[in-house]
Amino acid sequence: MEKAKINASQLFVLIFLFELGSALLVSLGLSAKQDAWIAILLGMVAGMVLFFVYLSLYNYYPDILPTEYMQKIVGRFFGKFLACLYIVYFMYIAARVLRDFGELLVTFAYNETPLFIINAVLFLAIVYTVRKGIEVMARTGEILFVVLYFLAIVGFILVVVSGLIEINNLKPVLEEGMGTVLKTVITETWYVPFGEIIVFTMIFPYVNKPRKIKVACLSALALSGINITITTAISISVLGVDLVSRSQFPLLNTIQAIQVAEFLERLDVFFMVGLIMAGFFKISIYFYAAVTGLSNVFNTKETSKLVYPLGFVVLFSSMTIASSYSEHIREGLQFVPLYMHLPFQVIIPSLLLLIAFIKNRKKKKGVHQK
Amino acid sequence: MKANRLCTLVVFISTAFLSGCWSNQELPDLALVSAIGIDKTEDGQYMNTVQVINPGNVAGESRQGTGGTESPPVSTYMEKGNNMVQIQRQVSKKVSRRLYYAHTNLLVIGEKLVREEGLKNIFDALERDNEFRTNATVVIAQESTASELVKTLTPIDQVPAEKIVNTLKVTERMWGENLNVAIRDVLPDLVSSGKEPVISCFSMYGDAATGETLESIQETKPKARMMASGLGVFKDGKLVDIVQGDMSKGVIWALDEIKSTLVSVDWKEKQEAVVYEVIRQKTDVGAEVNKDGKGKITIDISVEGDIGETAVPISLKNPSILYDVEDKVEKKIKDNIQSSVKKAQDLQTDIFGFGDAIHQSNPKVWKEWEKEWDDVYFPELEINVTVDAFIRRTGLRNEPFLSSID
Repeated sequence: MEKAKINASQLFVLIFLFELGSALLVSLGLSAKQDAWIAILLGMVAGMVLFFVYLSLYNYYPDILPTEYMQKIVGRFFGKFLACLYIVYFMYIAARVLRDFGELLVTFAYNETPLFIINAVLFLAIVYTVRKGIEVMARTGEILFVVLYFLAIVGFILVVVSGLIEINNLKPVLEEGMGTVLKTVITETWYVPFGEIIVFTMIFPYVNKPRKIKVACLSALALSGINITITTAISISVLGVDLVSRSQFPLLNTIQAIQVAEFLERLDVFFMVGLIMAGFFKISIYFYAAVTGLSNVFNTKETSKLVYPLGFVVLFSSMTIASSYSEHIREGLQFVPLYMHLPFQVIIPSLLLLIAFIKNRKKKKGVHQK
Repeated sequence: MKANRLCTLVVFISTAFLSGCWSNQELPDLALVSAIGIDKTEDGQYMNTVQVINPGNVAGESRQGTGGTESPPVSTYMEKGNNMVQIQRQVSKKVSRRLYYAHTNLLVIGEKLVREEGLKNIFDALERDNEFRTNATVVIAQESTASELVKTLTPIDQVPAEKIVNTLKVTERMWGENLNVAIRDVLPDLVSSGKEPVISCFSMYGDAATGETLESIQETKPKARMMASGLGVFKDGKLVDIVQGDMSKGVIWALDEIKSTLVSVDWKEKQEAVVYEVIRQKTDVGAEVNKDGKGKITIDISVEGDIGETAVPISLKNPSILYDVEDKVEKKIKDNIQSSVKKAQDLQTDIFGFGDAIHQSNPKVWKEWEKEWDDVYFPELEINVTVDAFIRRTGLRNEPFLSSID
């Protein structure tokens, strides 16, 4: 653990940027068709429930990292094993998100540039930031949060002013029934992006006022959830559900549709700047969690020394995890939620909480008896 | 510390090499494509005609000399093949620069192609490409080929593609028989089973063959001209009919796309004697399914406008006369819309999106109807049109001077 402190508002900003990261990039919850926005909203609520699991775990061990309290809960050996699994999980997701953004840039703007170059340049900045530590990341977040929000508001106003929004595209509401929506929540929107807040358990111990964590996290989840919901609803109402589900990057198409007064058009750069900022934080935080986790498990003295070797691993795995973008997305929709998000975000933390609860109750009882 | 310095060095070196110079394209190496025309050849291949801007000849300054320029503002290249992307690349054999599609704002499709084969094979490449913009306008070359339209030079707007797009925009705003339809608007309609697309048509008049030469536009009345002619009605992606005049205006009323137009009504014996200028309108389409399982569509229109002209001596000071005019206007718009809807029902194609309206209001019924919507259920729809017209002002005069002449 590095010696660093961030305050609750910085935590809020980091979570917000993190949540928006890839959620704005790819289409989210489209299995529910035009009700995707409902699925996202429900996913947010479900994500908040998960958050309480993580928070209770944290409350049992407020001063140490999850990688360490796992060892206390399930024993040294299993705890270390579990911690290592989590580190791999964080690195894998970091690689996935990096790939997402690399693919975006190659598909949309830099067709002839090799993906590796794009990923490497993108990741170089991330490695540098992570090496500087959580405080630097948090302060960067504070600045970029304002920029991102400014872009988002301007973008929103322009979409509205261009008269592109066709609310009828969102109808009929609940055409396939609530079942489809709930299925989408359970298989997709619960985990990405809301359940992903599990990575912040690696950052909670750095918060200077632990009591404020709950408020900061819940409000960040709510705000980002509402923002993603609005964005998705706008994309569907502008493009229609068919185009959104066929589009690799729906928000990009929505932004491209903006035409105000014959001169305010082709604002794709807007979209790019905003998304890359949010994506930058998503990858950084995952990567940071992996780095601190590893250094914690193996008790290395200088965390920052691990940044470069791990960085190479993430960078190369971002290249090798899939041979094509379609394969990448297919994995992300079918394999990852079931075999990675579900156990790592839901099952293991719940079990850990259960064990921690029993253990701590025993302890308390012991105290009382004495 | 050493690692730190090395890192900084790497960053500096990479910025030098990576600051956007990878596969860079300088402006002089690009040929800006302003329009693409797509036709079908006799042997079933596609014939594309691309209109490329000659940058030197459209820049304002050089044109202000005496007489015309020696070379035209655009050049066209033709190439045929079986798919769009191949054709676009093959053109490189004929052009010295790389064709750049980001500023293409017009796609012209030949009537033969859309009648025989339809739109379905054309759009994928355009939609998939990251350079081409799907907000480009689509038009159909009525009774001519797309290549003729793309090749024809035009006065006033030097780039012919601009002329077509701007004409559509202006006439859409002034007259309301045509629509400026973008590729982006057509695609959802092609996909949806509850709505079919409409696309504006352009036709040539005059001597089409001379349109390619500069001499054509050196006259006050160019030998070859183009005009917005009608509205192409599609079914299953194929052109089935082109509606014109009041018929196409009725379609556009029902689509809630009228920006402004005129409604001329008869007064006593005199035909089209009083002219009503539409300032703004709002059309609401409601759908419901009756208990006996028949669909019912209600179209509610409210229109505001002024009196633009009267050829009969009526007292426009008198509100009750204005009410009479309003009634006539309402009736005329209503007839207009009803005959257009009737026409579409005869053609068995739902260009109004009534199917989508049913889908949104009665999703369960729609599930059963969706498959046979155009052929069975749409033609049987009961259509209810109500129009509410208001005359707000009568211009700078109240009584026409005609009433002072005895």
